[in-house]
Amino acid sequence: MQRLKFIDRMSQGKLSRRDMLTKASAFGVGMLTLPSLPKAADVLTCLEWAGYDDPSYFKSFSDRNGTPNFSIFTGEEDALAKVLAGFSADVMHPCNYSVNRFVNAKVAAEIDVTKLSNWKDVFPALQTADGVVMDGKVVMAPTDWGNASIAYRPDLVDEDFKKNESWGIFYDDKYAGKVAMLDSELCITFGLMLDGMSYKEAAWATGDKLKAAADKWGRKCTANSRFLWTDPTEVNQALASGEIVAAYAWNDTVKNLTDQGIPVAYARPKEGFFTWYCGLTLLNSGKADKALAYDFIDAWLSPETGKTLIEGSGLGHSNTKSFELADKQAVAKMGFTDPIQHMKDGTLFIQVSDQVQTEYNKVWGDTKALMQ
Amino acid sequence: MRNTFSPLTVYAALFMIFLYGPVLMIPLFSFNDSLFTTFPLKGFTFKHYGTMAANTGMLNALRNSIVVAVCSSIIATAIGLLAAIALTRNRLPGNAIILAAFSLPLIVPSIVFGVAILIIMLKFLGIALSLWTVGAAHVFICIPFSMTVLMSRLEGFDKSLEEASRDLGENAWMTFYRVTLPLALPGVISSLLLCFITSFDEFVLAFFLAGTDPTLPVYLFGQLRFPNKLPGMLALGTSILMLSTMLVLLAEFFRKRGVQANVPGDA
Amino acid sequence: MASMMRHTEKSTWMSGYALLTPAFLVMAVMMVAPLLALLALSFWTQSGFEIDRTPTLANYWTIIEPSDEPFFWMGIPFPFKYPPPAVLMLKSIVVSLVATVLVILLAYPMAYFLAFRVKRNKTLWLVLLTIPFWTSYLLRVFSWKIVLGYNGAINSALKTLGLIDQPLEFLLYNPAAVAITLAHAWIAFTVLPIYVSLEKIDPSLLEAATDLGDTKWRRFLRVTLPLSAPGTIGAAMLVFIPTVGDYVTPMLVGGPGGTMIGNLIQELFLRQNNAPLGAAVAIIMMFIIGALVAFFFWVIGFRKLRSRVS
Repeated sequence: MQRLKFIDRMSQGKLSRRDMLTKASAFGVGMLTLPSLPKAADVLTCLEWAGYDDPSYFKSFSDRNGTPNFSIFTGEEDALAKVLAGFSADVMHPCNYSVNRFVNAKVAAEIDVTKLSNWKDVFPALQTADGVVMDGKVVMAPTDWGNASIAYRPDLVDEDFKKNESWGIFYDDKYAGKVAMLDSELCITFGLMLDGMSYKEAAWATGDKLKAAADKWGRKCTANSRFLWTDPTEVNQALASGEIVAAYAWNDTVKNLTDQGIPVAYARPKEGFFTWYCGLTLLNSGKADKALAYDFIDAWLSPETGKTLIEGSGLGHSNTKSFELADKQAVAKMGFTDPIQHMKDGTLFIQVSDQVQTEYNKVWGDTKALMQ
Repeated sequence: MRNTFSPLTVYAALFMIFLYGPVLMIPLFSFNDSLFTTFPLKGFTFKHYGTMAANTGMLNALRNSIVVAVCSSIIATAIGLLAAIALTRNRLPGNAIILAAFSLPLIVPSIVFGVAILIIMLKFLGIALSLWTVGAAHVFICIPFSMTVLMSRLEGFDKSLEEASRDLGENAWMTFYRVTLPLALPGVISSLLLCFITSFDEFVLAFFLAGTDPTLPVYLFGQLRFPNKLPGMLALGTSILMLSTMLVLLAEFFRKRGVQANVPGDA
Repeated sequence: MASMMRHTEKSTWMSGYALLTPAFLVMAVMMVAPLLALLALSFWTQSGFEIDRTPTLANYWTIIEPSDEPFFWMGIPFPFKYPPPAVLMLKSIVVSLVATVLVILLAYPMAYFLAFRVKRNKTLWLVLLTIPFWTSYLLRVFSWKIVLGYNGAINSALKTLGLIDQPLEFLLYNPAAVAITLAHAWIAFTVLPIYVSLEKIDPSLLEAATDLGDTKWRRFLRVTLPLSAPGTIGAAMLVFIPTVGDYVTPMLVGGPGGTMIGNLIQELFLRQNNAPLGAAVAIIMMFIIGALVAFFFWVIGFRKLRSRVS
């Protein structure tokens, strides 16, 4: 009966008319607030990691030119997919291991470093690093860098490991379910290094050698990992709770945990620790004035930006002067005091050919897929 | 009173605990004075709300998401309603095939549609990416939800009501407005809610099809790169929860008052 | 007379199709075009960054090419040279079936409660059901991590009660966690359609059954359940079909063994730079899901027919 009354009321239009009006007005408001389609080409468009769109990273640019437009990505693959599909952006933020894909896909343009006032202060090692320079051309202006090593809880691992820090911890059954590796084919590369190969040799491994390594090391590292991490938040949380005792990590993890009063150490594995670097690349699909793009890159290279990066997130910056400007304690929290020496001690990640990288990705993908 | 103690009522209470239990962890930890979401709790603080308020990018993304979700749920429900009426009222040739085709968006993983629609939009149609492209994709994935809900509502309803209306001289639009729409109303509300959630929460398509304005899920996914942004995200989640609860209670309050004013004694 | 009948029938068809037009339009742009592109892509091959447009069945052959030595996964032999698609397909279907069954079992009683026990404030209840889903999916997954995690809600509670010394580690990062998280994520999508189909059951039918001397339970089996079957089946499909291809949830809570078919497709499209193979896997997956759904409907239709005959 109740329902009949209800329907009756509806059919007299008492409720539905008001309902319809509300809907109509909501729709109208929605239409009005949706941004208009065309974007003026005099605004710079950047393909950027989420979070790196923070204005403090390019303050001098904004002071002169206003805020650029950002399109957010979370992995270089999807940014590349977007660009290849025809999305036009002026500047993109790849890393050492991914910039060659943009260059080989012919979407990146050469950078004229004479147009960058801060270029002279960039770490010399980074100025000529693999991926910054390709075929004698500068294709990426390095901006942020960091290390890749093992962050561990000194209160929860064995003394043996502390005396003898090694990437082997990810393959040690004693730590099964207590470690977390990055979701990366490095799982296989590090294994090959434990077999005595040099990093360079391991990174270029192909064919049966690679397959055998995936079976021997890749599966072990995957099985022993509590999870293969894809975002630093996961690692931070798990290290903090003691769910895992060691993880592949960047400097920011060490800084974050230290800031929160959690005991954490950053290893110097005997096989070596790594340095990754990311930077800005000019895209040739860009529609804005090139001068704007250069100004944006130059702002990113400034020591002020470096200070923000170091103090705010515990990541390194390509400008040597940044480390003079930044708080000394903040630098120490990254795990070193002398940035120049530190850069020399670490191993820079290298780029391999597209073919080798694709094979590596495939073998790694298959390894994960066939886990029991 | 008997109902209060029936097993079903107990079950409903347990169900609500299952539904809300995990979600309530979000407000709990948004007031916890720590970056980490583990027990034991550290201490009470409001500071994460300050962080949230300062994060204009995130609030912008929230606004984008609300606009897209509201528009696409209304459009999808309207389209779904028309289609549901067509398929339940008329025995159309190829009815089954049409139905099957409409459920295709559910079968294909959204990553595939994400990439494919991206290419169609940019290369073939030359449409720049924006919230419009995200909205269009959301309308598309919402239609199956909307149709399922509306068809099961409309199926089996007495056709004679509509016929009666037509016999009384109402034209098709008035019949729709006065008879069909009221009949379908509970379904329409369910459909709007389902579509709103679907769009508000959709990640993969929005990820590929957003231009320079990210929706909230896309933005939050990126924020995970920064562990110290998590508490601000929890504060935002809490605010959304509280706001939506308040809106619901308010709407319910006004609805009741409205009903009482309109038809005394029928609440 | 007959011609007139045909005429009215034709005009209903016309108006029916007219009503479908907006839906057709959206589908054409957003679905048919991308699907055609996908189909074409699956017959091409990738070489470097270029796509070789010579039509070939190579991608399909890669997926089904038999091998003499079967690959064993969980004791099941997979006689393929490239077993990942087959293995992950099976795994995804199982996980998503478990999640679907879980969701339906959890949702049905709740929908029943809403339809028959809640007398007032129904809209309020409906909205209450959806509120948790307004907090963003990622945050909800995160909250499940807090509940199931190492120092999470369950472990802390058990520890406080003195039931365990060490946190239970099997709660998170495995297929069960994926199934629970998926079940939670999709529950509103099932309660609502089931509720809608229960709601419209004519009370007089239930009264009639009672008058005929049926017990409550019998009445439920004879009247309520069959009448709510369309909504329930629809709801089950709404959960089963999309969860098979979901790749975000397994990535977040599935642990190292959490790779599903959706992850493979995503990797093929992006990381492994082999979109044509990814397209072929996606198409085969669509066919398998379509076949499963058709099979499911066939079984149900068959039963119905048989019960009507007997």
